[in-house]
Amino acid sequence: MIATAFSLLLPMETEEAQIARGLRRRDPELLDVLIEQYQHRLLRYLLHLTGNRAVAEDLFQETWLRVLEKGHLYDGHNRFVTWLMSIGHNVAIDYLRKRNPRSLDEMREPEEGAAFEPADGGPSPFEVAAAQQQQERFEAALERVSPLFREVLVLRFLEQMKLEEIAKLVRIPVSTVKTRIYRGVIALRPLLRGSAQ
Amino acid sequence: MTERDHDRAIELIARRGTEDLSSADSTWLESHLQACRQCADYAADFEKAGQLLRSVTVTATASLVTATQARVRARAIDLQEQHARAVLIALSFCIGVLSSTFSAWLWWKFGGWVAERLGLSSAIVEPGVLFFLILPALVIAVLMLVFPRPLLEETFLASLVRERPGGNQ
Repeated sequence: MIATAFSLLLPMETEEAQIARGLRRRDPELLDVLIEQYQHRLLRYLLHLTGNRAVAEDLFQETWLRVLEKGHLYDGHNRFVTWLMSIGHNVAIDYLRKRNPRSLDEMREPEEGAAFEPADGGPSPFEVAAAQQQQERFEAALERVSPLFREVLVLRFLEQMKLEEIAKLVRIPVSTVKTRIYRGVIALRPLLRGSAQ
Repeated sequence: MTERDHDRAIELIARRGTEDLSSADSTWLESHLQACRQCADYAADFEKAGQLLRSVTVTATASLVTATQARVRARAIDLQEQHARAVLIALSFCIGVLSSTFSAWLWWKFGGWVAERLGLSSAIVEPGVLFFLILPALVIAVLMLVFPRPLLEETFLASLVRERPGGNQ
């Protein structure tokens, strides 16, 4: 729908180019639309990165403020979502440096807040209970996975990013992305084998 | 089967789904997965990990979105005001430079005219005009040297403050 709205405005431009132009103007209408469009994806990414809902929500707001301030740096050549996630990544890294300059691995605070919310849609109580049980197991398994691995898993599986895109976003070599995905999947293996039974 | 083959298989598994693999790569991967139990297990776990991650729904609340939009709008207004102020300052600076240059030129011409009328040599008039132009700055510099901070802070500025309605008495 948003793509259609953009294309009606300027049919010759790509959606990315239109977003870049709007960000250069710091167009609040465009930002409202972008916040709505990417709300769940950005929050999900930050939540998997930090493991803490309250922190992820703070970083969510901070990310959009930074998008407003640094919007002129987006050239429209890459996908907007990749650029947005890289801003989110930098905001999270800044937060971690302030909070704990030693290691990315220590950023999780599993004891604080609910990490994930169940989906809406009116499932039966049995389905809710089963989903909740599965979700709890999944959260417990995720807690054992380093945020470094969680981040690339989210980008690969949920954002469907190519290895090169992930490498660019996280600023690591493609070979490291491959290794992190591998190690992330291996770390999830006990849960995966359990869910298969 | 070498370590290199396993590495290649792991990379192709990670690329499959988001990139179009060449038919040669796809064929090689399929035959490798049939021959290598370890990589086949990894490929199966890889798919399951994706399914599991996708099964967890994370949603932003409406209040978070609204609050973010409000903060972004407020910041946008703030930045616009900052920009407008910066433009005004830059404009004032440019106008100041232009008017100073123009008035310096006028004074220079006036000096030349006076020199011509009075029959004075340019060796006297030109330094005189220059001195006249920098005279205000010289006077202020001398005053600041003679009366350091107290003159500005307690007498001049204090009197300015007192003159303002509502200033400290």
